[in-house]
Amino acid sequence: MSEPIIEIQELYHTYKRQQAVRGVSFTVAAGSIHGFVGPNGAGKTTTLKILATLLKPQRGIVRVFGLNIVSQYKEVRRKLGFMPDHFSLYRQMTVQEYLDFFAAAYGMNYEERARVVSNVLALTDMEARRTDMIKGLSRGMQQRISLARVLVHDPQLLLLDEPASGLDPRARIELMEILQELRRMGKTIFISSHILSELALLCDSVTILDRGTVRYSGAMSGLHRRDEETADYMLSLVEEHPETEAALRKVGGVIGVTKEPKAPQYRVSFQRKQTDPNTLLRATLECGAQIQGFQEIVRHLNQAFMDLTEPGVPPLIEVSGNGEAASPAISTPPPIPAPPGGAS
Amino acid sequence: MNLPAFALFERTLRVETRSVVVCLGRVGLLLIILMMLLMVQTAARTGIFGAPGLQFLEYMVWVNVVFITLAGFSYFASAITEEKEEMMLGLLRMTDLNSIAILLGKSTSRLVGALLLLLVQLPFILLAVTLGGVGLHQIAAAYSTLLAYLFLLCNVALLCSVVFRNTATAAGVTLLLIFLFFFGNYWAAGIESDIASWYNVNLHRGVWPLITKIISLWRRSTPIEGLSGVFQTGFAGPIVGFQVVSNLVLGLIAFLLSWLVFDVCTRTEKDPAPTRLWIFTRKNRSSRMPRHVAGARSITWKDFAFITGGKFGLLLKFIVVILIVGVCNIFEYESDSKLSWEFEGATLVWVSLISTAVWLAIEASRVFKEEVRWKTLSSLMTLPISVPELAYRKTLGALIGTLPLLAGFFIGLLIVPDKVGDFFAEINRDPSEFGALVVVFLNFLLFFHLTAFLSLVVKRGALPLAIAIHVVGLILFGMSSLFLFAAATSGGGVLFLAGFICVVLAIPLHFAIGYRLGHLGAEE
Repeated sequence: MSEPIIEIQELYHTYKRQQAVRGVSFTVAAGSIHGFVGPNGAGKTTTLKILATLLKPQRGIVRVFGLNIVSQYKEVRRKLGFMPDHFSLYRQMTVQEYLDFFAAAYGMNYEERARVVSNVLALTDMEARRTDMIKGLSRGMQQRISLARVLVHDPQLLLLDEPASGLDPRARIELMEILQELRRMGKTIFISSHILSELALLCDSVTILDRGTVRYSGAMSGLHRRDEETADYMLSLVEEHPETEAALRKVGGVIGVTKEPKAPQYRVSFQRKQTDPNTLLRATLECGAQIQGFQEIVRHLNQAFMDLTEPGVPPLIEVSGNGEAASPAISTPPPIPAPPGGAS
Repeated sequence: MNLPAFALFERTLRVETRSVVVCLGRVGLLLIILMMLLMVQTAARTGIFGAPGLQFLEYMVWVNVVFITLAGFSYFASAITEEKEEMMLGLLRMTDLNSIAILLGKSTSRLVGALLLLLVQLPFILLAVTLGGVGLHQIAAAYSTLLAYLFLLCNVALLCSVVFRNTATAAGVTLLLIFLFFFGNYWAAGIESDIASWYNVNLHRGVWPLITKIISLWRRSTPIEGLSGVFQTGFAGPIVGFQVVSNLVLGLIAFLLSWLVFDVCTRTEKDPAPTRLWIFTRKNRSSRMPRHVAGARSITWKDFAFITGGKFGLLLKFIVVILIVGVCNIFEYESDSKLSWEFEGATLVWVSLISTAVWLAIEASRVFKEEVRWKTLSSLMTLPISVPELAYRKTLGALIGTLPLLAGFFIGLLIVPDKVGDFFAEINRDPSEFGALVVVFLNFLLFFHLTAFLSLVVKRGALPLAIAIHVVGLILFGMSSLFLFAAATSGGGVLFLAGFICVVLAIPLHFAIGYRLGHLGAEE
């Protein structure tokens, strides 16, 4: 497991009398794409702004590259690129001027700037629009310019807040391709998004935040299973074979077998410690059934998100003078422990 | 009022009625009235004023004229442009609201709010009668003059707000129109008499009597002319005089024009993004960052190039200063028929100084505001520099924009070296003059800080608000020093106190700007 690039421990942040983040802890491994999801108002943007050194954490420890984000904020800023959920563009500038300005602001000399600007424009496929005014560009192109700006100083960590919001499907897919290319280049990407299907494909690990607390943080694969003790598999037969159900039930460790209506399919649940998929397959074949398919039933990120987060608008969490929640008005389900070998 | 035309109007009035800021504004106004009352009363006891009631009325009316004028180019001129800038006008037009409803809702509601501010003064102003030297008739005439001027200004600003795309342009044009309205008639009269003398024209023949009549009516329609009559002892003119009627009619015409052109001017919604000077075409290299600029200096360069106008902006400012000096020359030549180097030097010095103050005030109101408005502050704040350094770098970019104005100032000094020598000799003789100079400088420093801070606090109109607060502050300080300190200390003591207060107020504002910048950068 690689060294964590982001370490957050017991992070709290309160806006006036409303607690936005309550005891958030997670880590992000180097070189990974880490998804950061949660309903609106969950505390994602607050956490991102703290990581980007725009906000100071009120309580807790936040380290980026092992650096303290409060006392060593200048070093942290040199190593990360933050793309907020709005474009943050000087729309009266041309693309070239905009990127050149930020490259210069990071201390690059003239030759270096010229090279870097060309490189990031090539990476974001915006070379042809180099001399265009930013205000005339489409939303998708402005998003690319915003991403190019984040990349000019070659940061190792990218913090992206809703980078795909408002983009058309093509622009979204292209953005995801750019992010994958960046991962191949060795960048660590911490991405907040509501488009779970794309995150599921893109991310190695994920943190699910709800009402200011972490509901899950770990490898994406760990999210697919409901727990580590049991497993659910779908067994598909070539044709109906009524003896199969009884044969499966006889296998030690099988918790339940459910026949799917109108199809020769069985949903089998078993204890991982007592049996395994091979035993089940053997039992099926021995009873004379012909197997067409056998695969684990995994939870999609969408389902996991729905299971782990609470419905409705989160209530205001009043805090007392010392920053603690005065009355825990909402229930907090216990966070799912991350599987070994995950990102956290 | 269930008419659709009044729906937005009614809603805005309700919102304003509940607004804490509006209530605080009224309280502030009442405090000014009470302070003035106190000053006039105290002065009357010492026998400074022969007619303290009239003096009180005069002070109040002129303060109102200043505030109405400030409101004209800030509050009223943004009535429609603020919707354009937020791309909300299209949505408003998609509802049942027609153009008259939008105009009433966005502008007339503001007018009613301002009228209420005038009316709330009436019970206090009536005390002027008790103080003596003024009659009810004069008070009624003075306030009818103010109401008519307010009505005119509100609707002229509304017209500008409808016609122009952004608040800055609408405010600028409104200010220009106000200026022309007040002083244009004097120029017109001067030009008319010059033409008559140069070309030997008989002003009693042809179209000239008509032109003379128009200029005369123009002059009579200004509040200056209207009020100067009202403030004369024994005023017996009508309460609703020519100025009132003309202002109401002109205001109505401006409103009707706004209504007529509303659809044409707001049909297409334009991108409110900031524009760059026409000289910066995309192939123009003047907007490219120079080779040697890197690091935090690039922030200074960015502000210099894109906010103050860059090298072209420098040249433009110098040309404007020279043009103003040229216009002053024309007036001087008309009055004295001669020009002197002394006049040139002094004019250049004063024009440069005033232009510098005006330019810096404008810059203070937008140097940080532009970043907040276009949500670019967060990207700047993730650069490896601190918030204070960011703020100073940006300020430096704005200050570079004043170089041609300062150049004008120093050229002016070089033209009249004798006067500079006299000035230093004068300071040597009377150090309090130097103290006064320092106080003026500190006052401007405080004013720029206040403007910059307000630009980070209020949505619009930071500059007029800063002017209003500063004017009120100066009045209050003037009164306090007059009655509390002047008697006990020498003039130097008051100067020291004034300077001290400026510094004491500027320091927290200085830090508050940094705090607000950090806060707003995180809030984006």
